[in-house]
Amino acid sequence: MNSIPIEYYLILSAFMFSIGVTGVLIRRNAIVVFMSIELMLNSANLTLVAFSSYLGNPIGQVFVFFVMTVAAAEAAVGLAIIIAIFRNKLTVNIDEINIFKW
Amino acid sequence: MNFELLLFIVFALVAAVSSLMMITRKNAVISAVFLVLNFFALAGLYLLLNAQFIAVVQIIVYAGAIMVLFLFVLMLLNTGKEEAILHGKKPIKYFAIFIAAVVFLQVAYLLVFGSGSFTSNPDIEASLSSGTVETIGREIYTKYIIPFEAAGFLLLAATIGALILAKKKFE
Amino acid sequence: MGNIIINDLWSFLKPEIFIAGGIFIILLADLVIRDNRKAIHFTALIILIAAFASALLQMGTESFIFYLGKGNNHGLLAVDPMSTFIKLITIFSTILIVIFTITSEEFKGSKFKSGEFYTLLFGMLLGMLLLSSGADLIIIYVSLELLSLSSYVLAGFIAGSNRSSEASLKYVIYGATSSGIMLFGISILYGLTGTTNLYAIHTILVSPHVNYLTLGLSILMIFIGIGFKISAVPFHFWTPDVYEGSPLPVTAYLSVASKAAGFALLIRFIKVGFISSVGTNGFWNFYENFDWQLFLIILSIASMTVGNLTALWQNNVKRMLAYSSIAHAGYMLLAIAVLSEKGMLAFLVYIAIYMFMNLGAFYAVMLVANKKGNEEISSFAGLGYKNPYLAFGLSIFLISLTGIPPTGGFIGKLYLFIALLDGDMYWPALIALLNTVISLYYYVRIIKEMYLTKALDDTTIETSKTELTFMFALVAPILVFGIYFTPLVNFCTNFVRILGF
Repeated sequence: MNSIPIEYYLILSAFMFSIGVTGVLIRRNAIVVFMSIELMLNSANLTLVAFSSYLGNPIGQVFVFFVMTVAAAEAAVGLAIIIAIFRNKLTVNIDEINIFKW
Repeated sequence: MNFELLLFIVFALVAAVSSLMMITRKNAVISAVFLVLNFFALAGLYLLLNAQFIAVVQIIVYAGAIMVLFLFVLMLLNTGKEEAILHGKKPIKYFAIFIAAVVFLQVAYLLVFGSGSFTSNPDIEASLSSGTVETIGREIYTKYIIPFEAAGFLLLAATIGALILAKKKFE
Repeated sequence: MGNIIINDLWSFLKPEIFIAGGIFIILLADLVIRDNRKAIHFTALIILIAAFASALLQMGTESFIFYLGKGNNHGLLAVDPMSTFIKLITIFSTILIVIFTITSEEFKGSKFKSGEFYTLLFGMLLGMLLLSSGADLIIIYVSLELLSLSSYVLAGFIAGSNRSSEASLKYVIYGATSSGIMLFGISILYGLTGTTNLYAIHTILVSPHVNYLTLGLSILMIFIGIGFKISAVPFHFWTPDVYEGSPLPVTAYLSVASKAAGFALLIRFIKVGFISSVGTNGFWNFYENFDWQLFLIILSIASMTVGNLTALWQNNVKRMLAYSSIAHAGYMLLAIAVLSEKGMLAFLVYIAIYMFMNLGAFYAVMLVANKKGNEEISSFAGLGYKNPYLAFGLSIFLISLTGIPPTGGFIGKLYLFIALLDGDMYWPALIALLNTVISLYYYVRIIKEMYLTKALDDTTIETSKTELTFMFALVAPILVFGIYFTPLVNFCTNFVRILGF
């Protein structure tokens, strides 16, 4: 079926995953941190779909369906928390939000 | 070079570059737009993998719903630009990049190295049929009905939670 | 077909059904009787008691539900003794948390929305119940997220409180990141085995066709997600801040129930991921060349040492208890790391007693914080004279957390050490013993503050009769199990088994 070896997909998803991890570590804007987390989830989705397609079994894609549901819910809750914080402190910079030590 | 590989290279490059741009832009709105681009490229890759249903859902849910939510909040809060990302006083950021590079090399190496043991047995028929709405729908509504219900409760909890947290307080 | 599913549901999933139905009942009740908060507390209690009773009736059942394959050895959920035990623990601690909520000062006043609170609390509980018997990575992931999402919101439940919403933000960032890493690990595991069912994965892993390095990477990544839930070092960074910032009933709940559910997942995962079979002598056998025992031991020793040593410097009692809960996670992890049936028994005894003593300690701290408005250690000065009953109860909880006889905490530690010595783990046993001695220092520091330090002010700390009665209801099992522990141990022995092993 595919002239593309599965390794190509895996390397791409590993790359996106580490970019996501880097984003979480270096960005200070809480919203961008959440976007980086979405990137991590997407790289996992890519791996799941790639394997699902190469194995010819649909479970991986069913899993991706659930991951998308979870990602949507997580984004909604995360952004609501950010709005609540913003209302109190007028910032979304996670360095400035520290009553506790990070 | 065949057409499929060409498409893969285009989509993969777009996905990789846009994800890199996403985390390096100072303006969060531009980051969000690059993330949308990344999601579109992923949808293209899903199509290459015969996952039609997931490709469509990727665009509708991720690019359509989730990213609009992000952009909406960004515009609502109007947070302005983040100061230069790598010029902070913290050397920890360089350390973070180093860590990420190590993670990438490790993961990539292990995935490629271990790929011999992936029980991969490309079967065009099975692969084509496993990506259709019919197959996925049947799986979700028979075998995976309990996770499906749990996902329903997850969305309920998320709705209530978002309401509780973000609702304007009347005092 | 349809009938079978409904029968399955009703005969094996009663607790889950009660809780799921309870969510709707509470939502409706909140609409109808919005002003009558007592009625909502009461409804929640009734639902929980029904769920608890149905979980008790389920004792001894062992079955898969929702078969995935043609055979009957793969299922979506595994109802077995171990999961039933964790269900009993989580439901029981939810009952106690409802009582916490009724008496909590943070949750008084018009701002507290009891209907929404219980919906989220039940959402969390439903996640735990499904998690404890989940045998498929899909249901595990979804229920873990249901659990986490509800707890993110609960951590930030006090509207307009900086501390609370900050705790919530930290929790959600750390939580989402670690679950993202876990998901990536799951995707690799799926690629290696071609299935998401833990038991099917087990059959594949028994045959040595899998690349163990890649498998190790995926298991390590999944471990980050689980380690986050049980707050084991080095995945514990969120714990002190979230525990300190959350409303106290939520903190207490996170420290017991959410940890118990995490451990249930851990045990099933270890047995499937690391273990080929259970030997006749009760020890668990590894796959060839795939020995993870050292990894678990290092994690648990790191958890107890870091937890105990950091707790020494804390001046906020809530934060101190957060570090102490990290240390206790270490002890429980060590019990599992013995990888034997005796270790499992030690874990079950430990977590049952841990539930009583940790919730009790949090309750006593809450009674003080209700009056003082904070949990600083100076608020406890002179408590022994201001309110001798409360001080006595708190002392018992703290002594039990240390593990000194004649309290229940000692029995938990005793069984832990028996299992350790039985597994020839002398060094870890010695380190755990040293840790117990270190922990004595900071627990006794609170007791010393209560009895030997003069109060700075003369605010009285009064407690109502009901509050004291409830606290002594938690003291009683600790003292009783400390002396007469055979029934508890016999009870726990019934629950050691896990389906398929």
